[in-house]
Amino acid sequence: MPILTARRTTKRFGGLVAVDELDVEIKEKTIHSIIGPNGAGKTTFFNCVTGSYRPEEGEILLNSHSLVGLLPDQIVRLGIARTYQNIRLFPVLTAMENVLVGLHCHLRASYFGIVAGLPSTRKEEKEATEEARRLLRFVNLTGKGDLMAKNLPYGEQRRLEIARALATKPKLLLLDEPTAGMNPSETQTMMDFIRHLRDELGITILLIEHQMRVVMGISETVTVLDYGKKIAEGTPEEIKKNTKVIEAYLGKGSAAETMGVAA
Amino acid sequence: MTGVLHLWKYGLNAGLLGGLITVLLSLIGMVEAFSKRQIVSDVLSMDQALLGAAVVFVGYLAAKRTTSTYPLWVVINTLTCGFITAGMLMLLLVIGDLINLRAVFINASPVLYELLSFGQGFETAPLLFVAYPLCSLFAGILYLLPGALRKMLIVSLTCVIGAGVLQDLIRPTLAAWESLADVAEWIFSANGLTEQGAAAIFLVIAAITLFWSFKGEAVETGYRRLPPAGQKTMQWMGFAVLLVVLFILPQVLGLFLSEVLTIVGLYVLLGLGLNIVVGYAGLLDLGYVAFFAIGAYVTAILTSPELGFFNLSFWSALPFAILMGITAGVLLGIPVLKMRGDYLAIATMGFGEIIRILVLSDFLRPWLGGAQGIGRIPKASIAGFEFGTPQTIYYLILAGCFLAIFISLRLKDSRMGRAWKAMREDEDVAQAMGINLVATKLLAFGTGAGFSALSGAIFATKLTSVYPHSMNVMISINIVCVIIVGGMGSIPGVIVGAAALVGLPELLREFAEYRLLVYGLALVVMMLVRPEGLWPEPVRRREFHEEVEELPENNGAPSAA
Repeated sequence: MPILTARRTTKRFGGLVAVDELDVEIKEKTIHSIIGPNGAGKTTFFNCVTGSYRPEEGEILLNSHSLVGLLPDQIVRLGIARTYQNIRLFPVLTAMENVLVGLHCHLRASYFGIVAGLPSTRKEEKEATEEARRLLRFVNLTGKGDLMAKNLPYGEQRRLEIARALATKPKLLLLDEPTAGMNPSETQTMMDFIRHLRDELGITILLIEHQMRVVMGISETVTVLDYGKKIAEGTPEEIKKNTKVIEAYLGKGSAAETMGVAA
Repeated sequence: MTGVLHLWKYGLNAGLLGGLITVLLSLIGMVEAFSKRQIVSDVLSMDQALLGAAVVFVGYLAAKRTTSTYPLWVVINTLTCGFITAGMLMLLLVIGDLINLRAVFINASPVLYELLSFGQGFETAPLLFVAYPLCSLFAGILYLLPGALRKMLIVSLTCVIGAGVLQDLIRPTLAAWESLADVAEWIFSANGLTEQGAAAIFLVIAAITLFWSFKGEAVETGYRRLPPAGQKTMQWMGFAVLLVVLFILPQVLGLFLSEVLTIVGLYVLLGLGLNIVVGYAGLLDLGYVAFFAIGAYVTAILTSPELGFFNLSFWSALPFAILMGITAGVLLGIPVLKMRGDYLAIATMGFGEIIRILVLSDFLRPWLGGAQGIGRIPKASIAGFEFGTPQTIYYLILAGCFLAIFISLRLKDSRMGRAWKAMREDEDVAQAMGINLVATKLLAFGTGAGFSALSGAIFATKLTSVYPHSMNVMISINIVCVIIVGGMGSIPGVIVGAAALVGLPELLREFAEYRLLVYGLALVVMMLVRPEGLWPEPVRRREFHEEVEELPENNGAPSAA
């Protein structure tokens, strides 16, 4: 049973077709990677799923619930959270506040409850703070709650962004290049962490990634995009041998050479 | 020494700047206008203090550029700076003697030359070359002194000058108390402080600042060591003292100062409302006066017998005024939901003007009174106690401010406040984190407009009449300035900002013609020197001064996991 299904999804910008009749199925509790050269439409597809863009054609279903036409905040409530390619935290809010914003859609406090300071509101606020502290501990940021997000080192910002996404209690987590700019040991830690998210929390992970070591190391399924079209899909092993993929990355004619060398 | 010779130019630059400032202050007439007031009677007049402060400022600039690594150069540069400033003023005197400058500069009068040259024209003018370098050297020495001493000197001198400038405020206040009348007599003469008064103020303030520099930390850690319950009691006690002070304030200050307080209070109320819209939610609203106008006019229409529609009392009209304000805020919010930044500012500004022009129009004259406004608005009263005079209206405004502060504080660290702040930082991401932008924006507009309408309603009953021209765009801009100068998003900042930008000009009415000049200058200087505002939120202070406090954080941090 796929958790997310995209059928013939198409997104155009003027004459440019960024995502072209894309069919993708993400199975529940898998780690699924989307790869492709720059400009292949990976992030555009993410934006279509999370509601930042509205695809012109086709449909996107979460379980069997259509997402096309919903606003980003409605889609988050349905259980899809994301991180960004270039980190987009709320820079002058503290780490704690960043996570609390992620919890926003699960808090019920009304305007009047807040002003009147109702016991239920206070209790909820206290629980939210507890939950946020727990999430910070989960991503190994214990004790950094009071620091401004923009003053955290790069790696910690990445993890804080994931904590903020986790705060929305997603079923499906979209990670846009989570290991960009990381050194090999940091990358390894991030890979373990992503696997941990799936194994411990049972969250389905959809991943955009450029580092082949990560893609081949953790994904169960890989989808390859080029010029907005799906050119291949399969296990990492299958993708490695796929001639179309090698052509897309290295250019025509390279496939034969690479194959020859490999043999 | 060859390597440091380039340092001379800092003295030269600062000196030229000082010359420009002092010549400018003279030619625009500030020197002459200020000369009528004495700071310390027969010792220091206000114009001398002004010029002196300008020289100290540029002297300090010269010293700071030179840096304390070269103390000898600090002395040389500050002296050069003073000489050059004096030289440029001397040049003004010579030119003024040769050519009649009055044809162009109306303020270049013989009186000005006399003031600049210490009274006797060219006979005493050479004194310039002694006094100015000394002032500048003083700034240099100030720079080289250890921090605590420097702070003490600056704070106590500022207090002496402040006491001199605000003599009309302080003297009657002291004199109103039987027992303090003698003290007032001792400190103040008919014009300015007495010598012993100035010395006393200087010593007392100096002692307090010194005590705080050495013992302040101990007091603070002592407070932190208290158990949480103890801290809470301390806070409540502080709050109670504040309440008592605020309660007796108008009785102590008298009629005129209470009037000033009420104006400041109305601006605090407006500022608190705009602080939610601009400071928390980041929606730059330049038409904020519209809701003030709506609050005032709804009150007027519902209460004034002049129109004769309803004749309600103030208290029954108030909820309607606030509700109308909130509704207008939400209605304005709807068309501008998709707008950001500058576009939003312009659209809201237009809305402010629409309301003013509607009120002014002949077409709505039968209902809104047109240019003549609406009069005979009744005073508010509770159980026979009438809020008629500034001293009683003050309590009405105080209650309004407390209500607004209370609501602001509650919202600030709640789910709603966080949603506003997230939206201010990054609207798209806020939405992607589950924040409903429409509801969140409209709530911000509505809350802000409600405070503004409350302020307008009180304004209407305070003046007992409303006119369209008290609702112009300058008010909106003033309020934006209040919260920027005070510190965006900071509640104490709004109060400090209103006191500085609205209260001070009211107290210094006799210099009203320089009001806008000083206002503009103050804004420019503020943005350059202290962009986070006079009393910023702790987080905002960190944002602007992160390089200072980030260092200790990075030491114990574990490497990325």
